[in-house]
Amino acid sequence: MLWKNTYNEFIKILAKPRSYIGLAALTLLILIILFAMKADGRMYISFVTASFEQTLSFNGNILNGNLIAFIVLQMLIVHIPLLVALVTGDLLSGEAAMGTLRMLLTKPISRSQVVISKLIAAAVYTFILVLWMGFLALVVGRWVFGDGDLIVLNSDGLVILNYTDVLWRYGLAFMVAYLALMTIATLSIAFSAFADNSIGPIVSTMAVIILFTIIGSLDVSVFDHVKPWLFTTHMASWRSFFSDPVPWSAIWESVWILLAHNILFVAIAIFKFKRKDITS
Amino acid sequence: MKPFLFFFVLISTQFALAQDPNELVKAVRLKLEKVQDYSADIHIKAQVPMIKIDEVDAKVFYKVPNKMKVESKGIAILPKQGLGELNNFLTNEKAYTCALNGTKMLGDIKTSVVSVLPLTENSDVVLVKLWIDPLKDLILKSQITSKTNGTLDINYFYGDQAKYGLPYKMVFTIDVKKFKLPKSVAADLHQNKKKAKSEDGPQTGTIVLQMSNYRVNQGIPDAKFKN
Amino acid sequence: MEQQAIIEVKGLQKSFGSFEAVKNVSFTVNKGDVFGFLGPNGAGKSTTMRCMLSLIKPNAGDIRIFGKNLFEERNAILAKVGSIVEKPDFYKYLSALKNLEIFARISGAEVSQKAIYETLDFVGLLGREKDKVGGFSHGMRQRLGIAQTLLHQPELIILDEPTTGLDPQGIIEVRDLILRLKNEQNKTVILSSHQLAEIELVANRMVIINKGQTIIEGSVAELMNAQETLLHIELTNNSQGAATLIQEILPTVKIQVSSPKTLELNVEKQHIALLNSKLVQAGFEVVALEPKRKLEDFFIQMTQA
Repeated sequence: MLWKNTYNEFIKILAKPRSYIGLAALTLLILIILFAMKADGRMYISFVTASFEQTLSFNGNILNGNLIAFIVLQMLIVHIPLLVALVTGDLLSGEAAMGTLRMLLTKPISRSQVVISKLIAAAVYTFILVLWMGFLALVVGRWVFGDGDLIVLNSDGLVILNYTDVLWRYGLAFMVAYLALMTIATLSIAFSAFADNSIGPIVSTMAVIILFTIIGSLDVSVFDHVKPWLFTTHMASWRSFFSDPVPWSAIWESVWILLAHNILFVAIAIFKFKRKDITS
Repeated sequence: MKPFLFFFVLISTQFALAQDPNELVKAVRLKLEKVQDYSADIHIKAQVPMIKIDEVDAKVFYKVPNKMKVESKGIAILPKQGLGELNNFLTNEKAYTCALNGTKMLGDIKTSVVSVLPLTENSDVVLVKLWIDPLKDLILKSQITSKTNGTLDINYFYGDQAKYGLPYKMVFTIDVKKFKLPKSVAADLHQNKKKAKSEDGPQTGTIVLQMSNYRVNQGIPDAKFKN
Repeated sequence: MEQQAIIEVKGLQKSFGSFEAVKNVSFTVNKGDVFGFLGPNGAGKSTTMRCMLSLIKPNAGDIRIFGKNLFEERNAILAKVGSIVEKPDFYKYLSALKNLEIFARISGAEVSQKAIYETLDFVGLLGREKDKVGGFSHGMRQRLGIAQTLLHQPELIILDEPTTGLDPQGIIEVRDLILRLKNEQNKTVILSSHQLAEIELVANRMVIINKGQTIIEGSVAELMNAQETLLHIELTNNSQGAATLIQEILPTVKIQVSSPKTLELNVEKQHIALLNSKLVQAGFEVVALEPKRKLEDFFIQMTQA
């Protein structure tokens, strides 16, 4: 029954226009970034390298596909959560608003299975979103800008990674970015279990992200104990794969914290949804 | 015998030291001017604060008067000055004047230290100091002080291509005091607390270039230097 | 022959916060019944229906369907139940066929494509199956809703206010469908309504609830016949004289003379013919003799009590 309903969920996601908003927006955003970089990428880079270039000269193809992919990832990590929440925040509450939840829950399928099948569909959707982003950023980026060493600006300076040393980092970075986006998906599903309208969970999810991000970026010591536990703190963890050496223990810590959030949010969603009186 | 020997040594030393700095530089320049073009494989090892980069292999091309190109698959970091610029600077002997600053031992070689001062006012270069091996007419060390880049030290090591004044190894010591990171971009996760500032760390970095497979005066078409 | 109980609801109670939607509802639905679940708006019908489908968890009481406890064997029970709660809602961006396929897939039975088309035919939507539900009229959605309840050949069909919002033609269609379900497919149907005519026309048994409590339960025929009928008599003149005569025949009844030509009285059905012949024999010119009290009046009386 779980897989039958998961199949249903795929049909619903595929048929819903809003599912394509994310993909279309992503495509448009990345194409705009690619265009901007093609037109004026040197300027963008010199902003970073200016102070170094008084003394040093950077030879070789700096503005390459690998850097473009990095810029794309860095720019979009703020916006993709919205695109994810747009679909995942609607999964339970959208059906409540439409009235189909009533129909669905009078079928011989347990409520936990309903949540889990929606979670699986959300996971696949998010994965496709990340995969599409990866394809546009890395494959199209390399196709347009060529291959080359990746120059990354971290807080402790520039890291220049050999082009042969980049792909595995992207592979793992996309996986961690995916986990971060799944945290958004599960959070919005948890909100979705509480709501009977589609917009509430989407707005709530974005509100939490914004709130946590602000807390995380405030340099105030009262929040120092809270920050390491905010999932938003770890959403940029994919970036650490582009440090040299890779801070594995810090990344693992992020992965565990994100995983714990995922489990927590799914548990909340199931707990609430199982006890929910369907009055819509 | 002994006093004679002493006298001989004294005379020969005096002779060496008494050289005209302009002549010293000219000898070096003439040696360098034998080179019409060259290409070489170059291995770059950069240890610069705030920049993390692996060792890189590249290919360097040079052609008189001032064409220079570095070809690398990846990103290669080189000092902005000191590769072709010094040769360039020395070529125009009317643009500078030389003064002898005594001698100094570099390893077991006694070098003549020559200060080269640019005569043109708008020159970015403020002062060039050269440590010249007067017996071989080779620059063993140079120090370029410029308005924009601070001070750059270069040590030269010679091998097969000494006859052209081309080193097999150059060690650049560069000034990194001016290095700054744009704040807004440098937001990343795990190093949040220890925002690196160049003042905290070492103030200099080194870039070691090792040249091999020199091909001197084999002719390089101008097209090579076009981007 | 002893009736087999399909649904047994006992002492059902449900509150939402401080509001007690259902206080004490009990009833039994037997196999083959078309069971009317009657009550005015806000009586607790929908809450009870939702409890029976596990959409709402009651605070107290027992619901047994097919002899099994609903909350212990929910999935096994729901696999044999087809239902519409309130109004049937569908995925508007999908076609009727896709919607039915989605619900068939999780109905607990293997539903063939052929069965889906047969069901569409049964509810009169064949030919419209490729159309998006978003463009369907309310009546069409209602029929699609009924199709959805039938896909997996359920033994029990639960319909919550199935005619709400329908135009007269739609109401007739749905009523016809319900009768066909009973007559052609021998299903047990429970339908709630605040429209009493609806129940009277299709149901054989019923329960009336009001303010969250069961008022009365029984067969529709018995409940109707057990009660007195309000008889409205119209004469050419002298209603007072007629009243005196009737009082002599039936000394216990209360007669109300409403005008010189009309009078009303509560009377048992079997006495109506007798009264008619006595009045005519006595020379009264009877224009009309209308038994007015039907289930509707009874319902109003019950729920107002």
